[in-house]
Amino acid sequence: MQTMHALETNTTIGKAHRGRIPIMIRTLGFGTFLLPLTVFMLLVFCVPLLGVARASFYTNGTWTLSAYREFVSGALFHRALINTLSIGFMTGLISVICGYFVAYHLSRMPQRKRRLYIILVMLPFWTSILVKSFAFTVLLGTNGIINQALQAISGTNVVVPMIFNRAGVIIGMAHWLIPFSVLPILSSLLSQDKALRDAAEVMGATGMQVFWKVTFPLSLPGVLASGLMASVIGMGSFVTPSLLGGRQDLMMANLVDFYVREALDWRMASAIAVVLILLALLILSTAAFVRTRLSR
Amino acid sequence: MTSKLTLHGVSKRYGPVTALHPTDLEVREGEFVTLLGPSGSGKSTLLKIIAGMELPTEGRIIINGRDATEMPVRERDLGMVFQNYALMPHLTVFDNVAFPLKIRKTATEEIRRKVHDALKTVQLEHLKDRKPQALSGGQQQRVSIARAIVYNPSLVLMDEPLGALDKKLREQLQFEIKELHDRLGITILYVTHDQQEAMSMSDRVALMNGGRIEQIGTPRQLYFTPETAFAADFLGSSNFIDATVTARTSERTVCRLSSGEEIAAPSREGFSEGQKVRLMVRPEHISLLGQAVSADRNVLKGVTTGTTFFGESAEIRARLAAGSEIAIRIPNDYSLPEAEPGAPLHLEWDVRQTHVFA
Amino acid sequence: MNTLHQSAKATSRLGRPISASVLIAWLVYLFLIVPSLIVVPMSFGTSNELVFPPQQWGLDLYAKALDPAQGWLSAGGRSFVLGLIATGLALMMGVPAAYGLSRTNFFGQKALSFMLLSPIFAPTIVVALALYLYFATLHINGSMLGLVMGHAVIITPFLVVTTLSGLKHLDRNIENAAMVMGATQLQVFFRVVLPAIKGPVLSGSLFAFLLSFDEVIVSWFIARSDQPTLPVKMYSSIQWEVSPVLAAISTFLVFITVIVSLVSAFAQPENTDGF
Repeated sequence: MQTMHALETNTTIGKAHRGRIPIMIRTLGFGTFLLPLTVFMLLVFCVPLLGVARASFYTNGTWTLSAYREFVSGALFHRALINTLSIGFMTGLISVICGYFVAYHLSRMPQRKRRLYIILVMLPFWTSILVKSFAFTVLLGTNGIINQALQAISGTNVVVPMIFNRAGVIIGMAHWLIPFSVLPILSSLLSQDKALRDAAEVMGATGMQVFWKVTFPLSLPGVLASGLMASVIGMGSFVTPSLLGGRQDLMMANLVDFYVREALDWRMASAIAVVLILLALLILSTAAFVRTRLSR
Repeated sequence: MTSKLTLHGVSKRYGPVTALHPTDLEVREGEFVTLLGPSGSGKSTLLKIIAGMELPTEGRIIINGRDATEMPVRERDLGMVFQNYALMPHLTVFDNVAFPLKIRKTATEEIRRKVHDALKTVQLEHLKDRKPQALSGGQQQRVSIARAIVYNPSLVLMDEPLGALDKKLREQLQFEIKELHDRLGITILYVTHDQQEAMSMSDRVALMNGGRIEQIGTPRQLYFTPETAFAADFLGSSNFIDATVTARTSERTVCRLSSGEEIAAPSREGFSEGQKVRLMVRPEHISLLGQAVSADRNVLKGVTTGTTFFGESAEIRARLAAGSEIAIRIPNDYSLPEAEPGAPLHLEWDVRQTHVFA
Repeated sequence: MNTLHQSAKATSRLGRPISASVLIAWLVYLFLIVPSLIVVPMSFGTSNELVFPPQQWGLDLYAKALDPAQGWLSAGGRSFVLGLIATGLALMMGVPAAYGLSRTNFFGQKALSFMLLSPIFAPTIVVALALYLYFATLHINGSMLGLVMGHAVIITPFLVVTTLSGLKHLDRNIENAAMVMGATQLQVFFRVVLPAIKGPVLSGSLFAFLLSFDEVIVSWFIARSDQPTLPVKMYSSIQWEVSPVLAAISTFLVFITVIVSLVSAFAQPENTDGF
């Protein structure tokens, strides 16, 4: 910390003829504001994370790559990795598409009205994932509300399996992730200069043309970034696949849980966690790259 | 008079960029000094250095006799008025003005009295319980002024305080600030890019350009005897005519235009015969009346190219025989000569109103 | 007038495609809001089976949820206390840190703010595992201390973000003015900055509390199985058998979410965009 601040004031200090002590105190003063949280995060976040990395390499007093070797060769891990990637990207895509319609709708209304409508997005966003999972088991179950309704309408005993399978996971996760994609897309839409659309219209563009030639391209960086972001969040999900998915929909997070609780193999759990966080970092940096590249 | 602020060779560099060249400045007790200049001229940098929000790269700052170069902002004993008022949104008008006194642990009764007086000075006692957001821009800026004077700081800094207000209000507040200054004898260092504001309020104006003080003096000095073409151009309007020096005495310098016509000007140091110069005369100093009757007046011929009507005055544009365009400001009355485009004109002005620049 | 006329024309000209997109938007709203709403009527049913709509109405499920023998009450109390302490800790660390971040500009600041905010981006399961392993060596797994620390890691970055957005709207010259008038750095923070951003900080801490109150993954790893937090008890309950009591608990959680959202909506200044 101190060195960082010293670095900052260095340029001024270097040229000054006498000590700039008051200004150092002033700058360090801001350092004091940052200090408690920095120390806390170092001790209770960074060190534990490093501990996970260490635990994945270090077992019974020796350093080993065995966990990663098992990960590379094990069919269970392949299954979980493929599930994680496909469910993550799938729900990311779905939530961006759904989120775009909502964000576009919100962006075209006066601010006062928007404050009201946004509750429809924020309320589910802040509702406990357990409430949602519970509600979906009731809605989607074989005796659930939707199947009962279908039976009543069709007059048959048809049952559409929507829970404890891939469909359940995707529905539940899309529901969870849509609000995550609405907000960034909305702010990207709101930051667009309305004059551009007006200009396009004055020049004779139809509403559809204005959207596809002006609004959509301008919002694309935000859309891609928030889609990748939603995918990353989805890939880390644990509760939804556990409660709404079947055995074959196991994701990496559930595997971590399994190895900690059932197999009591911290080494393997840690290795999976390391792979998961590297995956997240890779996708997040791609998102950041895409964002800066496209908005130039 | 004692000096409230003295700068000795204060400069500021950001890496290779020089925002402020070494600058000297003195503000005496009770004086109203304005830093005037276009954006990027260094006036804001200079003000920030004086306030202590930036450190100078070199030089010393003396505030009220104390070396304040390295002093923290809060110990410099300054008052400051900002363009966007910078009132605390969570405090009432009264508490905003009381803030500096509370920081100084002034007794409650004294706070009440002083705040009351300060608000009375800016005629806002009746609004003391309002929140700043409920006030108009002009009222907010008055609160901010009251807050800057309530604790009697050595020097009050004003950073474009009227920049966010519309023209009418700006003029009224110019008058009020000036009146406050004269009545209370406070020392003010004022920053603006508006030359009219600077001229109408200041005892002295420091004209800044390119990170240095171009010229410092009373508004009259800057207007009537600008030392550089920039000063002439920035304060008031000006016409520039290219010429060559042909003759020079200690009193007068005579210059020839490309048309062969000759113009005389008061002599200044640093010009020699044969030198290319730019002559300057202000549009409002030119008149259109007949032939010159004395050697104290310059005469030029021109042709009208157009007129613009301004209400209280009119501007006539003319092309000189020498080729350049020139503007003439004349007060409007019924005796205005018809100025049809193409009509010949006789321009004349006092030799003393002619300025020579390199 | 002119713009009004223009926009009216635009909508009518856009005609069909726009209304189709509005329809889809409404379907998405419906999809989003239905799960939160469906639990409310179900919670007033009486049967032991989950049926919709309930055949009989009553408060049986609430009575069951409040029965101390069921353990929901003590789990709820545990979550409440945990949320309060974790939010208090987050406030004490997060608000000053946000102020420090927003008012400095030093080499490595980007890296520091990434570090401070990264629990938001990191998969929660990884954080949970990391804390589980770490607390195991410190022997504080299963303790309130461990839960408080774990929750503070999760919610503090969030409070930093909301405080930062509040600070963004605060004119820096207000602080400069206070300093010119003689205030020290601490006086500026406590008497100028803090009161001016109390709205965003209040709403941020309400949501931080909610985040902690609803947090399941970290608690699932750290909490003792015989002393679960409310979400942990819910999670294991849904896992084994979907009991109707959950409808009452869920309704209670939705209710808290609504309350927090409403209070924070009033705490926010009018001119911001409610999110």
